[in-house]
Amino acid sequence: MIEAVNLSKKFERSIKQGRKNIKEEFLAVDQVSLSAGEGEIVGILGPNGAGKTTLLRMLGMLMTPTVGEVKLTDASGRFIEEVTEKKRAIGYLSGNTRLYQRFSIREYLRFLGQLYDYSEQEIADRTEEIIKVLNMETFADNYIGKLSTGQTQRASIARCLMADPQLYILDEPTLGLDILSADAIISFMKEQKEKGKTVLYSTHYLEEAEVLCDRIYMICDGRIVAQGTPQQLKEQTGSMSLREAFHVIYNSEKK
Amino acid sequence: MKKIGILVKKEIMEILRDKKTLIIMVVVPVLLYPLIIIAMTVGMSMMMQAQEEKTYTIGYRSQDQEYVLPLEEIYGKNQEELECKLDFQGVPESDEETAREEADVWLSFSKESDGVHIKADYHSTNQDSSYAEGALNDIVDLYSEKLLAENLEAQGLSENFLHPVTYEASDSATMSETVGMSMGGAIGMLLITMILMGAFYPAVDITTGEKERGTLETLLTLPVTNFQMIMSKYIAVSLFACVTAVISLISLSGVVFFMMSGMMKELAGEMGQISVAGYLGCIPVLLAAMITTTMLITAICMCFCIFAKSTKEANNYITPVMLVVMFASMAGMIPTVELNYKLALVPLVNVSLLIKQVLSQQLDLALAGITIVVNMAYGVIVIWILAKMYDSEDILFSDGFRSFRIFQKRSDIKKGTVPATGDLLICMVVILLAMIYIGGMIGSYDVFAGTVFNQIFIFATPVLVTWYMKSDQPRLFSIHRPKFKAVAGSVIFYIGMFSFILIVSTILSQIFTESTQNVAATFEEIMKQPFALIILVVAVMPAIGEELLFRGLLLGSLRAKYRVGLSIVISSVVFGFFHMSLVKLIPTTLLGVCFAVVVTKGGSIFLSMLLHFTNNLISVLSMKYPEKTGELFPFMMKESFSEAEIVVLVVVAVVCTTVGYWILRGNGQTMTDNNEGTE
Repeated sequence: MIEAVNLSKKFERSIKQGRKNIKEEFLAVDQVSLSAGEGEIVGILGPNGAGKTTLLRMLGMLMTPTVGEVKLTDASGRFIEEVTEKKRAIGYLSGNTRLYQRFSIREYLRFLGQLYDYSEQEIADRTEEIIKVLNMETFADNYIGKLSTGQTQRASIARCLMADPQLYILDEPTLGLDILSADAIISFMKEQKEKGKTVLYSTHYLEEAEVLCDRIYMICDGRIVAQGTPQQLKEQTGSMSLREAFHVIYNSEKK
Repeated sequence: MKKIGILVKKEIMEILRDKKTLIIMVVVPVLLYPLIIIAMTVGMSMMMQAQEEKTYTIGYRSQDQEYVLPLEEIYGKNQEELECKLDFQGVPESDEETAREEADVWLSFSKESDGVHIKADYHSTNQDSSYAEGALNDIVDLYSEKLLAENLEAQGLSENFLHPVTYEASDSATMSETVGMSMGGAIGMLLITMILMGAFYPAVDITTGEKERGTLETLLTLPVTNFQMIMSKYIAVSLFACVTAVISLISLSGVVFFMMSGMMKELAGEMGQISVAGYLGCIPVLLAAMITTTMLITAICMCFCIFAKSTKEANNYITPVMLVVMFASMAGMIPTVELNYKLALVPLVNVSLLIKQVLSQQLDLALAGITIVVNMAYGVIVIWILAKMYDSEDILFSDGFRSFRIFQKRSDIKKGTVPATGDLLICMVVILLAMIYIGGMIGSYDVFAGTVFNQIFIFATPVLVTWYMKSDQPRLFSIHRPKFKAVAGSVIFYIGMFSFILIVSTILSQIFTESTQNVAATFEEIMKQPFALIILVVAVMPAIGEELLFRGLLLGSLRAKYRVGLSIVISSVVFGFFHMSLVKLIPTTLLGVCFAVVVTKGGSIFLSMLLHFTNNLISVLSMKYPEKTGELFPFMMKESFSEAEIVVLVVVAVVCTTVGYWILRGNGQTMTDNNEGTE
């Protein structure tokens, strides 16, 4: 499971004021605490610029928080200390994690396997298994640069699967995909949940989140403004759907 | 290590699969260079042939025929050797004007008392005209020689009458040396340029390209440290640059030798005299020089590429770098410049000169060693900077780069800004360049004025920079009134460090035998000035300026970011290097440590100013009044020490540094507490 305690991230941004550029510091993520346990899909919702990506980057060990820490336990419940070990235990996927265009999927998975210290036999077995599971036999030897969007997305999932992580962090994984590819991702998340893995994911599709997530955190301006199961959120706001609840929460936040 | 290996393999695969890199690595060196050279040679020989086959018109007035006939005769006899076809045309006076226009050369003759004067009108920018003129010149020379021989014979004199003394110069340089001298500079430049070409493209592709293609974030999710990532990229680019350079060199030398053996048999014969065996011993040196240069150039390229958000931006950044590197590499082509101990410290220039030295078979192993070690040291420093840069999220996620604050408009800079590492680096580079070029130039006219300029510049830079950046100057420079206890502590600490430095310098002077003549010469020039001026320029100004720069700006800014110990070491090493002498490097660095400790622990820059003043004053006195100083401080003037004296010095060093540090430490604590209380 993953637990974030009091995470904050400070950035500097420049604002144009007349002819002057004024630099000011701001908190992209402001004292966020959250957790996600085994067999749970946790959604993170929020408008653009709310700090979702920064938050997920810190949870995925890509960025160091200015304040706070991220605690991560392995399958046996022990805390993982090393940053590289933490990265190993996390499958991180976002719109920015593209794949090497000049590699084939098979070569890429081999490269990953070597970095994860698998034996040659393990690498071969896992690669074949993943290619079969994701139905990639026909294009596993093509350069990734030549694949279609849906195929590339499957290759990205293959990348995450190779490490066999405890925790998946997915930043808007269904964004811009057709229905078939998006459904493939959703069923992938459900499978991982059934296997007892943890899934943390951010999305803009509220209907999707409503059926998929066990719990939801809503963030605005870097802070958590609401949390709970979809049911709880709807009850708190007296809404019929998550979409309605979202509007109620953000409208009250803007006032 | 294993992970770096896997990553390197991946990076190399990625570079090689990019078709554009193959163009740089294979097509350019293997096809383009030979093609250019062959095209040039073929073009040249075709032009020469055309010149030989063409018939050139030599015009003259018909009445001058009597003068032209003997020339025509000479021409007829020597036509083969002259390699030029001439047509002598006598023109009647009426047609002269048009004939003058048409002829390549127009000859006019006038008989004077002491002989015939021939005037040839030609046009030097016209190829045909100047070629024909050259041939005519040869003909006239032959003709005059013939006349001379006839005259001598008529007088019954021998050839010796004309040449009472004969002179022959015999060149002891072997063919290899001559060729090495003339080609060495060019080869050094070519090699460095090729390394640059080889490093540039993959460096952009692998760092900026990775950012642009969006695979960087994926790389960050893998269980590898940033250091492993950047090192693997670095190794891959270095390898690539090395291979490109080697391929280019082989291709080029192959073409050159092929052309020489094919076209100029004569020269080929002489080239045959070059003993290959003589070069075999130099191969390790050349290889080491090439590898360290590659390390350095690759690291520099990558440093600049990491800033860039797009490959286009990277190209913009790298262009000035390319120009600087190429100019530095041209040092070997300047005939009078030779590798010496000072130039061995200048990166790239030293390699260029070393290659020239090696190829003209005048290898000085000590200089070669220094060159290679120095380049390696620079390389390691730049790699360290590179690794530091790659650790910064600002750079990795392109959220803007803040290591350079000085380029902002002053109105945008916040009050109390501390100069960042990039600013410090720029300051140091600017000061160093100003000292070498402007100070050096003034110094070549007047050594004293040069020294004064350097000191003023060193003083002005930290003051102006901190003013521009609106830094809190008293805090940054530690401008506080020192307590008496701190003064006492720092003096005692200095005595200890001074004894220690004395021991170290004596040991060093026995290992290094670099002549200190240069330094002495500068000093002598300054010593001619009035005593008060000497004290001002050698003791007072450095004490203020250098302390403000090294213990103020540098140490103060570093301390805001790094641990105290590291800041002291960095500022002292820079201080040591600034004195631009290998022998003095370690002693000055130690002196820097002494001053830095005094400032950090004693809490006031006036302490180190006082010590710096004292230190320089002592050396002025020892130069000006060696005898008196010798009486006062017998230890100072000794060349070497007996064992007993060394023991005494060591005891003094240990006791004084410990006691001084102890007094300072107790004092520094209260000092800083007070400061924080008042601020």
